[in-house]
Amino acid sequence: MASNVFDVLNNRACRGLALGALALMLGTGVAQASTLEVSNARLSLLPGNTPGAGYFELANSGEETVTLVGAESPAFESVEMHVSSEHEGMAHMHAIESLDIAPGERIEFAPKGHHLMFMRRIEALSEGDKAEVVLEFSDEQRLPVTFDVVSPASL
Amino acid sequence: MYKLLFAGLASFVLAGCSDQSWRTTDIGDIMPPLDFTLTNEEGETVHGEDYRGKATLVYFGYTFCPDVCPITLSRLGDTIRDLDDETRDNIQVLFISVDPSRDTPEVLKRYTDAFGPEFIGLSGEQAEIDAVTNRYRIAYEYGEENENGDYLVTHSSAVFAFDREGQAQFLMRDSHPVSDAEADIKRLASQGG
Ligand SMILES: [Cu+2]
Repeated sequence: MASNVFDVLNNRACRGLALGALALMLGTGVAQASTLEVSNARLSLLPGNTPGAGYFELANSGEETVTLVGAESPAFESVEMHVSSEHEGMAHMHAIESLDIAPGERIEFAPKGHHLMFMRRIEALSEGDKAEVVLEFSDEQRLPVTFDVVSPASL
Repeated sequence: MYKLLFAGLASFVLAGCSDQSWRTTDIGDIMPPLDFTLTNEEGETVHGEDYRGKATLVYFGYTFCPDVCPITLSRLGDTIRDLDDETRDNIQVLFISVDPSRDTPEVLKRYTDAFGPEFIGLSGEQAEIDAVTNRYRIAYEYGEENENGDYLVTHSSAVFAFDREGQAQFLMRDSHPVSDAEADIKRLASQGG
């Protein structure tokens, strides 16, 4: 972790001391990102303007709790974090503002549970494409993730 | 309420005696036959009796739902694709949208086509939708609109199954083991007639 920060600082130092503060910030982001690992990222796509759902696993191997506060994608006007639940025979869905991932914890965004909801497509997408998504954390950290665009039938 | 409880008890007792009991929840004695007046994907008025002749699964949802509805329909599609060709011709899935202002016939057509040829989208006037949801004793509720005019809808999570004569048979929930739901769908679709 320390060498990572040092490397970034070193690179940036060549471009001038004025960038030092920025470099420190970036360095911190890079180091922390290496403790977050996303896998199995899939975007379930439906035809037309029907919203899509994003599913993935996120593991925090760092020493500190991280808080996921949202996501964005150039392919959609808006992305929200949602939870589906069932209560007395009714399917509910509600937005959540944040989700904590404790040190060593692995969370799963999966069908009929937590999901990203992708609304209003900007770019044409079809099955087999890749969609770029950035996960946003409360400490300003941003984690780019490439989602595979899939049919809900494949989930 | 008392009547419903009694009917439930009666069906439980009957199911115990019958070799025809379903693995999921038997609703043969507590739910009325398939009947409704709605609008199909072509914008035509249709009735429950138009869908007799095939085993029919009915799910109430809305297309703006990105997670629960498509996953439920996809899983039904998986089960249907596992059937042999002949049995597959004997089953259809009606997706009844409780969100008619967004789910026009065109939207529903494009949506259900994504799941397979067995899927048919229906919606209608609010009063027509209410007549169906009341008939099967389920509810739905619109959430508040956000600044973009988007809203979520809380809806029933159950899948209702009817035989080819339109008689109510069983009801599937997420809490039922997938293998039970699959076995019941397969048996329903294989029933001769
Ligand atoms: Cu959602």
